Amino acid sequence: MKILIAEDEALSRRLLEKTLERSGYEVIAVESGRQALEYLSRPDGPRLALLDWMMPELDGPQVCSEIRKRSEQPYVYMVLLTSRGSKQDTVAGLESGADDYLTKPFNTEELKARLRVGERVLHLEDRLVEAREHLRFRATHDPLTSILNRGAVMDLLGRELNRSYREKTSTVILLGDVDKFKTVNDTHGHTAGDQVLREIANRILASVRSYDFVGRYGGEEFLVVLNGCDPASAPTRAEQIRRSITSRPIQTIGGPLSVSMSFGVLLSGEWGPRPVEELLHETDMALYEAKAAGRNCIRIARPDLSNPLPQRPAHHRAGHRL
Amino acid sequence: MNQRKKPPSEAVWNLHELLTRTDNDQELLRELLLIFKEDFPGHISGLTAAIAAGNLKNVAAISHTLKGMFANLAANKAAAAAARLEQVGRAGENAALKDAHEDLNAEIAGLLPELEAYMAGVRR
Repeated sequence: MKILIAEDEALSRRLLEKTLERSGYEVIAVESGRQALEYLSRPDGPRLALLDWMMPELDGPQVCSEIRKRSEQPYVYMVLLTSRGSKQDTVAGLESGADDYLTKPFNTEELKARLRVGERVLHLEDRLVEAREHLRFRATHDPLTSILNRGAVMDLLGRELNRSYREKTSTVILLGDVDKFKTVNDTHGHTAGDQVLREIANRILASVRSYDFVGRYGGEEFLVVLNGCDPASAPTRAEQIRRSITSRPIQTIGGPLSVSMSFGVLLSGEWGPRPVEELLHETDMALYEAKAAGRNCIRIARPDLSNPLPQRPAHHRAGHRL
Repeated sequence: MNQRKKPPSEAVWNLHELLTRTDNDQELLRELLLIFKEDFPGHISGLTAAIAAGNLKNVAAISHTLKGMFANLAANKAAAAAARLEQVGRAGENAALKDAHEDLNAEIAGLLPELEAYMAGVRR
């Protein structure tokens, strides 16, 4: 583990450096508070620090105080080293943001034990961050396919449309639906159906760029957002995604299954700022046209802006598409 | 007579304590003494200049550094004398400055030959 030693007095610095190297630490030794702050502010900087109280430029408590202002960075466990011993000093040191306090000359075993406490705290923090990230992932991703869930992909689409309007670029929206998916479930079982959905998610992800968005919009519906996509190339891109689904059978518990998808495609850039719901409705209408045209194809939305939202046929809105 | 002017007696330099601190690493001990030998004269001349100029803030700062060096070397009596001088400097006790400085010099006078003797022994 990396540890920073900030000590302006060379003899003490060398003694600490050697002691900690022997204990297996990767030591970075500096001689001023300014240098300490610089190292501790680096993204891959040490997260454990021994700071002398009295140093030129910035003293130990000032370094602690500066580091604690940076709430976005991983926690740094800081121990102040000092020969000052009054209760008032102890309080001031800890109030500045230090985690612990060690009096010089240090006792080697005590120093090591206190640093182990620091390592335990950092380990605990790592586990908390990991748990938070896990929760965040679960809140924004579909548990079956691990792609974005409906809420998350809608949110990102809204932001992307705003950005695209602001920067006068185009965004392409694809709404895809697995053809005759109900038959897959009814014939081969839900486990096979789940395998189909997972593989489709993987294939769509593999067909888009890392900065495009792919989300599970509904049961067997997928929403794809191609950011900054040239409108002229949108049909080709959509076809590539469609073909990635039909290119080879999907291996399932019920055997290899040939599956296809229909897509509605909409280019947002042509119509200015409009609500996400409205654009998705138009994409959905195009998807319906693709279904009506025999499935396994794409249809480009051509919204008529002079009319209010067109209505989908009642039977289509009522349940699953086929 | 100044009763404070007496030669250092016991615990001028606790070699055992220092060896424990360095994990019996003679090479490291020698390295620390070399650092001391190199840095110490600069601190002493700075201290002398600060005292001559009556700059008590610098007196306190340099004494603080010396205190740390002595303490790390387990030169405990010199560390205590440097701590007294630091306190005098911080408190602005001009009257006590001379005695505190002389005390420190006396401890240093007792310490340096011991360090030199050790270094000479290591060299042999």
